[in-house]
Amino acid sequence: METIFWILSAITVLGALFAIMLRNLVHCVLSLILFFLGIAGHYFLLRADFLGAVQILIYVGAVAVLMLFAIMLTRHVTGDEGPREVLGGKWWAGMGTAIIIAGLLWAIIRKDQLAQILPAGGAQTSMVEIGKAMVTDWVVPFEAMAVLLTAALIGAVVIALEEVIRRR
Amino acid sequence: MGFIGKGLLDGMVVTARNFVGSYFDKERLVTVQYPEERVQTPENSRTFPFLVYDDNKNPVDTMRCVACKICETECPPQCIYIVMDRDEKGKPRQRPKVFDIDTSVCMQCQICVEVCPFDAIKMDNDYEKSRYGRFDELVEHLPDLLKSNEYYGRIKPTEATVVDAKLKAEKEKKAKKAAPAGAKPPTGSKS
Amino acid sequence: MAIPILFVLSVFLGIFAYTTLVERKALGRIQNRFGPNRVGRWGILQPIADGLKLLIKEDIVPRRADQFVHFLAPVIAVIPSILLFSVVPVGTRLVPVDLNIGILFAFAVSTVSVLALFMGGWASRNKFSLLGAMRAVAQVVSYEVPMVLAAVAVVMAVGSLSTLRIARAQSGGILNVTNWFVFRPWGFVGFVLFTIGAMAESARTPFDIPEAESEIIAGYHTEYSGFKFALFQMGEYLASIAMAGITVTMFLGGYNGPGSGPGWVGGLISMFWFFIKLAFMIVLNIWIRGTWPRVRVDQLLGFAWKVLLPMSIANIVAVGMWHYLTFRPLAWVATTLWLVLWFVTLSKLAATENVAPRTYRYAS
Repeated sequence: METIFWILSAITVLGALFAIMLRNLVHCVLSLILFFLGIAGHYFLLRADFLGAVQILIYVGAVAVLMLFAIMLTRHVTGDEGPREVLGGKWWAGMGTAIIIAGLLWAIIRKDQLAQILPAGGAQTSMVEIGKAMVTDWVVPFEAMAVLLTAALIGAVVIALEEVIRRR
Repeated sequence: MGFIGKGLLDGMVVTARNFVGSYFDKERLVTVQYPEERVQTPENSRTFPFLVYDDNKNPVDTMRCVACKICETECPPQCIYIVMDRDEKGKPRQRPKVFDIDTSVCMQCQICVEVCPFDAIKMDNDYEKSRYGRFDELVEHLPDLLKSNEYYGRIKPTEATVVDAKLKAEKEKKAKKAAPAGAKPPTGSKS
Repeated sequence: MAIPILFVLSVFLGIFAYTTLVERKALGRIQNRFGPNRVGRWGILQPIADGLKLLIKEDIVPRRADQFVHFLAPVIAVIPSILLFSVVPVGTRLVPVDLNIGILFAFAVSTVSVLALFMGGWASRNKFSLLGAMRAVAQVVSYEVPMVLAAVAVVMAVGSLSTLRIARAQSGGILNVTNWFVFRPWGFVGFVLFTIGAMAESARTPFDIPEAESEIIAGYHTEYSGFKFALFQMGEYLASIAMAGITVTMFLGGYNGPGSGPGWVGGLISMFWFFIKLAFMIVLNIWIRGTWPRVRVDQLLGFAWKVLLPMSIANIVAVGMWHYLTFRPLAWVATTLWLVLWFVTLSKLAATENVAPRTYRYAS
């Protein structure tokens, strides 16, 4: 188990690093997919197989594919845009982000909240429980997310409509 | 109009009928199992040119071609190459030493046949000319090209009888012309 | 666990090889030809000959291609297709892996295959490949939605995502037949929706615009030759066979049939029934391929979003009605009426498009 965890972690971290460091945009997205798959592997390792499958279905099958599709609809189909700087000289922004994330992680780990949420031996998250939690305890955030997504969808339609009207 | 998707189902019925029918009705299957069975080619079908000779015992001497090179100049894709045969003194022998047809270039237009004044070149109907090489092996040389008049008569009977009759008439005319000339003193041949 | 996996791998790879032969023979007969009949009697060795030929063929990589991605694409095309078989219960005693998220796993894995199409098309640096990849991505993303929703209907009825439990839920009834979900109003509609979706997902003929020969040469695998091309073909066929297997499991009763049961004899009979149904689905695919013309891109996407998607949502509602109307005759009438109403409305709405008479500029 431990070895698998380290292998998966290496894949995930490498995928994430490549996703921001490679020069070709399409290569970046493909590395991001590797990262998503690594995360899904971690879910499987934690016996959250439903989450793992959903991770692949949504992130690899839909989100990443939509990213690729968006790249293909632009003029830079080949993905070559020459050398790019990762931070564009704003090293302090990167530093700030890193410090904030490290602080948050440190706070969480220190308070041992993860161990409280996860029972020993991995989470026993069956779909039934997830479903029940979603429509009882977490119904407000769930609905808020749904409203947000619908708003985004309508917004996209409106933007597309404007384009159509302008063309006429 | 029926219901939505009826056309699709009708189409499936048609293909199913074809599928089942092909097992019971041999007439449906139009495929020819080529190496074992062949379709009789029509008489006027043509592939590449060949050179006609008259006598089976001596093909090279009795070929009709006199190396006049009319076909070489007329050939649109210029796939014919002719070198006239000469004896030791350099006198033309009235027959080709080299006669090459590049079958990779030949477009089977039959113009060489039309322009030949001696009925020496005719169109073959042999279509099995595939070779293993792309370059030299596709060039046909004089020995490959020579074929007998009987062969010509066999592949294109109608055309061959016309040509034979024409040649015979010409020969007789020549003989008639030669007969009075032979009666005269030998000086007559000079004029 | 190892034995079922080995069995499934070898048997389904064999089925793949001979599906290609059966497909070519059947298409030939549909077009009044013989089909392959040279290699062995009835062309029985043709798949082996094809495999050998593709193995020894020259492998060409375009000079400007993205070498690594170009190499990776065919590999990725095959892996998800083989993984799909792991959740298909072949018989009562032969289930490779019983995941409690079986169906979801199948969908998750099958979405990965679209990446292979994209990578192959993009890495080739060929406009036809790229067009094919774009079409493939648009098509798979669109058809996944109604397909998943059609499966959701079954999942709701069974109350489990496990393929084994879905298959078990369809046993019983008269001769182990009447409980198949295809003999329910919502099951029949789901079956049709899922079959269409599966055909589109594996780019089979009415939906093969990603590799439409007359338009974009061979689509995303234009620049592939030799064994990489074979891998693409293999991935496509395996995916379509696996999807047929999942369709059988979800709607056609899986391994259930007269005589199937938990014992050894019943297990063997259940395998027999499974493979009979699988063969039926494969033949149906081939038959459709031999009959129907290819759809246009706009028709393809319009059909997915304007007909299949609303229909699959209506189907989910129908399952809910079926669940709560415990008086069965009433449930039959209500769900049938509901679905027919939707079908008629949607086909009316879809039919109002493109009704203007076609004008020909050059032909009269």
